[in-house]
Order: sequence, then C-alpha cells, then structure tokens
Amino acid sequence: MKKLNLPEERMFVAPALLWKRIVAFLIDLLILFFIVFIPFRGFISSRLPKDYSFSETYKMLTAGQDVYSIIPVYMAMLLLMFLYFYLLERKMAQTIGKKLMNLYIVSDNAELKRWQALVRNLLFIPVFPFDLLIIIDPVSMLFTKTNQRLSELLSRTRVVEIHKFDQSW
Amino acid sequence: MFSRLSRKKMSSNMKNMPEEKIPQPSFRWGYAVFVLFLLMFLGFVSVVIISLFTDVDVESLSGNVALISIDGIIAGSESDYLFETVSTSTDVIELIEKADKNSNIKAIIFEINSPGGSPVASEEIANAVLRTNKTTVAWIRDIGTSGAYWVASSSDHIVASRASITGSVGVIASYLEFPGLLEEYNITYRRLVAGKYKDIGSPFKEMTSEEKAIFQQMLDELREYFVSEVAKNRNMNKKDVDRIANGLFYLGSQAKELGLIDELGSKDEVIRYIEARESIKAEVVEYEKEKGFFEVLSEVTAKQSFFVGKGLGSAFFDRKKGSQPYIST
Repeated sequence: MKKLNLPEERMFVAPALLWKRIVAFLIDLLILFFIVFIPFRGFISSRLPKDYSFSETYKMLTAGQDVYSIIPVYMAMLLLMFLYFYLLERKMAQTIGKKLMNLYIVSDNAELKRWQALVRNLLFIPVFPFDLLIIIDPVSMLFTKTNQRLSELLSRTRVVEIHKFDQSW
Repeated sequence: MFSRLSRKKMSSNMKNMPEEKIPQPSFRWGYAVFVLFLLMFLGFVSVVIISLFTDVDVESLSGNVALISIDGIIAGSESDYLFETVSTSTDVIELIEKADKNSNIKAIIFEINSPGGSPVASEEIANAVLRTNKTTVAWIRDIGTSGAYWVASSSDHIVASRASITGSVGVIASYLEFPGLLEEYNITYRRLVAGKYKDIGSPFKEMTSEEKAIFQQMLDELREYFVSEVAKNRNMNKKDVDRIANGLFYLGSQAKELGLIDELGSKDEVIRYIEARESIKAEVVEYEKEKGFFEVLSEVTAKQSFFVGKGLGSAFFDRKKGSQPYIST
C-alpha cells in the first residue's frame, strides 16, 4: 500500500479547557503560598486568634486595630501575585502552573506585548475598580465560548493548549 | 485520533479560534526560579516595611503568655545607675503596654529579681500592671523587696520560692555628710541660699534637727502611701500591713504565712495558675526591650571576651587547683 505523505506530527491550538486552567491556577497558588508568601505567614498568624474560634475571630474583627494591620499585608500579597503572573507571562507566555498543564498564552496580534501582560492580570491590583475583576473575571469565563476572562478579552489574549495528532491518524 | 481531546469537542472549539501560529514554547526554569526568589525577597522587604508602620513585633509572632523581666534596681532612667543592672519604668511600661495590645497574649508574667529602687518608678510600673486587662502574675525569684514588692503586689497572683527574699515594705533615704573632712583640709563651706532649706541634704554641712524632721516626715508619708497601696492591691487590712511594714524582709515561706504572697513555687506553678485561670496551654514568649545595633554588638563581644578570658584562666589555674569543690548558696 502506498504511504501517504503526511507530516510526522501535526499540531494546532485550541482554547484551554476550563478544568485545566483551574488546575494550572491552583498550582500557581500553591507555589505562591508555599514559596512567595513564606514571609507573610508569621505576620498573618500573629494577627489571627490562636484558637481560631468563632467568638475570638469575631472579637478580633470588631476590635478593628488588628484587622487594619492585615490590609497592607493583603495588598502586598496581591501585588506579588500580580508580579508573579506578569513577569512569567510577559517573558515566557506561561506560568509554572500553565507549563505543567501545557497551556500557553497567545496574543490576538503577534507577540504578547507588555501592556497585554499587564491588562490580563489587572485583577490582582488591589485598587478599585480593578479589584472588582476578582469576581467579574471568573464569572465571565463561564459565559464566553473560548473561556476567556474579561481582562483577557480586554488584553486581546487567550489561554490555549496545543493538540497533537497521533501518527495513527 | 487526537491525543488529548475528543475529535468532536476539538472541532467545536476550533470553530471559535482565529487562524494563528503555533506558540513556540520558551519556558525557562531558571527564569521562573529567579522570579520566585525575587518575589520572596520582595515579600520579606514588604513585611519589614509593614511591620515598621503597623507596630508588629517579633514577640507577637508566637506565644500566648508574655514574660517581662524586672531585674536589678528599679529606676526612672538608666543614667541614674551607671554600673548596676537597672530596670527602668519607661521600658517596663512599654513592654506591658505592648503585651496588653496583643490580642494573642492572655497573661503576663513578671519575673522579678530586684531589691526595689525609686518609689516613683515603682509606682509607675505598679499602676501599669493594674491598668492591664490581662491576667498578671508576679514570680519573685531570688529577691523581690521594697519597690519590687510594690510592683508584685499590684499583680493578680504572687508566686515566690520558699528561699526567696521579699517584703521590706518601708522607705529608705540616705546621704553623705563630710563637713569634718572639709575642716581637716581647711576648706570652708560658704552657704549662700535664697530660701531657708535650699541646701537641705548638702554633704558639706551637718543636717539640723529641723531638717532631719522634715526628711523624716516625708519618708513617713511615703511609707504610709506604700503601705496603703500594698494593702489595697493585696486586699489586706491596712493595719495588718502596717504592722509588718517595718522594712524587714521575709523569706518566701514567711511571706506566705503573712499573706504577702499567694503561692510558694517556681515558674511551673506560675504556668499552672495561668493555664487553670485562662483555660489555655501556655506558650511563654519573652518580651524584651529592643536593642540597638551597637548594644547587641557590645553584648556579644563582651560575652565572647568573658568566655575567652575564662577559658584562658581555667587553662592556667584548673590544672594547678585540681578539682576543688566550689560551694555556693
């Protein structure tokens, strides 16, 4: 039988599956929690009640002073998250989580520009109105056919995965 | 056959995809690790900055029982006593307030090893102890007399060792007088004062009986106040305190009989009392005055020099002395 002259490996891109994106994000969060947020752990645990009881937590929240000292920590952590995603995505179009899940960020234009990397991670900027994106972004993923977040639509970027054809095609 | 995705799903997704190039993987682990370390460093920096502005201290990072030492002479400032161990009221009050602000701290232990000192500084500390909302326990070690006992009396519970020395409720004032010495060296003290008692207590002249009476009256008044404060703090009859407030010090066991302390024991008894009262598992964290860079440096070098000296000394003398018993109480 005559062999068809097909390329040995054919690839094409498709929007990343939602579960893969969630897993990639969780991996990134774990990395951030266990490595980047190490300096914050002692600080936060010192501000939270030792016995974690509801009454103690309520007392702490109503006392005010301790809560206010957590706000700058929360802001600093979000900014570090922003930097993590921005620096990795800008340079390599992938975070560690995306790398492990084989996902990529592609731009609708040509190369992923600095402004695009910035805009797609605006949800981590702890300032109004960007902080609203923390809620709007995941919800918008459910309503777009390509599972794009609102900030992805604004930045004209998409998260894709590469699919390969087997030789048995 | 597709390797990762069903053909049906793939084709439905593909319809939404614009034509584009296959992204070229350019992931570098080296860069990713660099970013992680950079962010961790930035995290440390931001925690340091936040700590500076939100008054968070190392002590607050762990523990639920604060331990504050009152060691040496109680004074208003360190400059009052150059070569003595001093606990200044300013430092102690600062530590008490810091522990009081920390919601994790449930109780404060005052580790007292002091013969007392300035009545003003003692009263300041005693008032700070009374002001706290936490459970306070005074743990008298070797000595907790006079002003130090005043501080102890203001806490909720006093624990002292059977062999410790406490009490000595009374007031002492002393002065040097050397007009005879001046006379011997043919030096004359010329008194020029505007105000009859302006040079009261001057060492260059003998104190008159009137001046002595004035001093004594002041001391009596101060003692009276001391006694009333101890009686109030200990919930005792003022007459009973007055009877034992003759300046005499008592052993821990005697002090227990007299009601000057609540319990005989050590740190274990202190911890047990706090755990029972607060229903917690006590984790003690030491609250100390923050030291400056040069203070830490001089402390370290002083310790090192001491141990080097001690080592050299023992190398020379221990060999000659052999193992003679060293008895201390």
